[in-house]
Amino acid sequence: MPTVERPPLRKPEKTFYFKTSEHLLRIGREKATTLEELLKALRECPDSSIFQHTFRTLQEHHFIRQGFSNDFAHWSLSACHEPILAEQLASVDVREFTDIAGVRGRMVEIVEEFLQEHPRSTARAAHEPFYFCAADLVVLPTPFAPDTLPDFVDALRQVSLHSIHHHFIEARLRLKRMSNDFSNWLEQEVGLRDTALAIERIDIYTNTLEGVRQQIARIVGQALN
Amino acid sequence: MKSEQNRAPSPDQPQASKTLTVVEPPASRPAAAPVRPGRELPSSVLTPPVPPPPPHLDDYESIIGAAQVEALRFLAADVKGKTVKMVNSTAVGGGVAEMLNRLVPLLSELEVPTHWEVITGGNDFFEVTKAFHNALHGTEYELTKNAQEIFLMYNEQNLQRMQFEEEVVVIHDPQPAALIRAKARSKAKWVWRCHIDLSNPNPSVWEFLRPCIEKYDAAIFSSQSFARQLPIPQYLFYPCIDPLSEKNKELDDSVIQKVCDEFGIDRSRPIVTQVSRFDRLKDPVGVIEAYKLAKKYVDCQLVLAGGGAKDDPEGSVVLQEVKEAAGNDPDIIILDLPPWCALEINAIQRASALVVQKSLREGFGLTVTEALWKGKPTIAGAVGGIPNQIIHKLTGVLVHSVEGCAFQIRYLLTHPEFARRIGMNGREQVKENFLMTTNVKRWLLLFRILSGSKPSPIPT
Repeated sequence: MPTVERPPLRKPEKTFYFKTSEHLLRIGREKATTLEELLKALRECPDSSIFQHTFRTLQEHHFIRQGFSNDFAHWSLSACHEPILAEQLASVDVREFTDIAGVRGRMVEIVEEFLQEHPRSTARAAHEPFYFCAADLVVLPTPFAPDTLPDFVDALRQVSLHSIHHHFIEARLRLKRMSNDFSNWLEQEVGLRDTALAIERIDIYTNTLEGVRQQIARIVGQALN
Repeated sequence: MKSEQNRAPSPDQPQASKTLTVVEPPASRPAAAPVRPGRELPSSVLTPPVPPPPPHLDDYESIIGAAQVEALRFLAADVKGKTVKMVNSTAVGGGVAEMLNRLVPLLSELEVPTHWEVITGGNDFFEVTKAFHNALHGTEYELTKNAQEIFLMYNEQNLQRMQFEEEVVVIHDPQPAALIRAKARSKAKWVWRCHIDLSNPNPSVWEFLRPCIEKYDAAIFSSQSFARQLPIPQYLFYPCIDPLSEKNKELDDSVIQKVCDEFGIDRSRPIVTQVSRFDRLKDPVGVIEAYKLAKKYVDCQLVLAGGGAKDDPEGSVVLQEVKEAAGNDPDIIILDLPPWCALEINAIQRASALVVQKSLREGFGLTVTEALWKGKPTIAGAVGGIPNQIIHKLTGVLVHSVEGCAFQIRYLLTHPEFARRIGMNGREQVKENFLMTTNVKRWLLLFRILSGSKPSPIPT
């Protein structure tokens, strides 16, 4: 089979500055003791609460490979014993949204439809309340600022998992597009469109965040080789 | 289904036999009590060990990684030089003092000079504050004018004695809460760190304290469910453990073996352990019942390691109930240990195949945190702060009854791969959320927010 010679990799014009984000949890005012109250609170709570219980909780539980998606799904199962609703809420992939309004709208829609179909579940008391929280975010620099692809992979392996979450999961809320900082940089600065797409396809719900890191490193490593 | 309420001893429970292994704490040290007939208390537990010096930040690098230590340094750089005062009511004993003993040096190492002061008071003050403590946990209590005056008088005395020149003042728990009256003469931001569960407080005590609390700039609680509705920002700081403490540091297998040998624990057979003081709310008798149900199917030993029975009249009664429930089963090992036996507890937890914390009521449940940190599959009651730590079937298992606990003991002992997986997840859960270094990070973030730096509620 003839060997296809690939063009040499482009040197990135811009450095990739790895950052990380840390957060402090605030206890919110909203509390739900029934699914009806959950629905009301989902409509009314601040964006920061939706963010905390969907995007942020993924970071707090980054080590779980399966069975944990967001706090609303978890509560629906563990406190309300509603496996159908829990599965539906758990199927919401935060990476399909570029703003919090979209995530909130989808959650509200799922709970509304469920309660229409299961009216007896509306006011049934949960085993324990759902307490809404919110995150105060602080973005921090890191010492890692690669300007070559090998250095990028090297840095990727060393940064904290919070940094991976920041660039790979939270990024679409900043970018306002269905992408992430890694794919964005690899496509725009290095011209690796296929690599960027392969990274974007990584499933965060069937991997730990450490597994995600390793997959990204492997995909970029393949491009390097 | 058996009731999970406080379980009174039944009259037909078997009497404790001579084969029951009980370690009595030395009354006034160093008088040794027998471990088993013919055996003496190991010399290692007769006197408190000399505490090692507190660790430095770099010592945590091998545990949390260089990147996380670096993040702490970046965070600290923004609040470098900011002065902080921590105030509580006791310098030794209790979880708050233990936590401050580690937190204060770490913050100071990060160039956030932190000063720790302890309030003083007479016996009458501490009697009142103990009653307040119990009342805030929901106990019936009649708040008298005299109790209010004693509380306020000692707070005023401390207020006159203390200086509040720091930029942040953190008051721990209700005892010194009325020091807030010094806020008018200080430029500090004032934070109330409440370590107790206020979910169901005695209304008279809470209404007495509430005007003080509302004057603070922020409050901190250990669990969402412990908080009250307040007009000030409320933050969630989970309690934490220090992975480098005697209770939690890594141990050589030889140390674990030595401790087990000393206490007559057979490491060749599965060990199921509950670590907690002898208190009905920890349901030690329920644990014995669960063990007995499980033992029909799987071979195991049960270790109940606790303490406090000597100092607490109720603890002695509960210990007696536990002995009676254990009967003459040589595989039930009951250890009433002195409070300085952190390393022994560490070794027993590490020797265990699984750890149980079958509490009926609980604060946060730091013994659960300790077990999870050691990677132990953990079975715990779904009460207090335990569901913050255990996600059912993912980072441990939650149970609601003796029967549920028995089934999970059987299941985990016969499904080692599942047990290993939840044990690993449990350790990661602690590493991410409940270590001392995460606590340091929370304080640094709070100092930054209090100094006016606007955090972002969502990524922008």
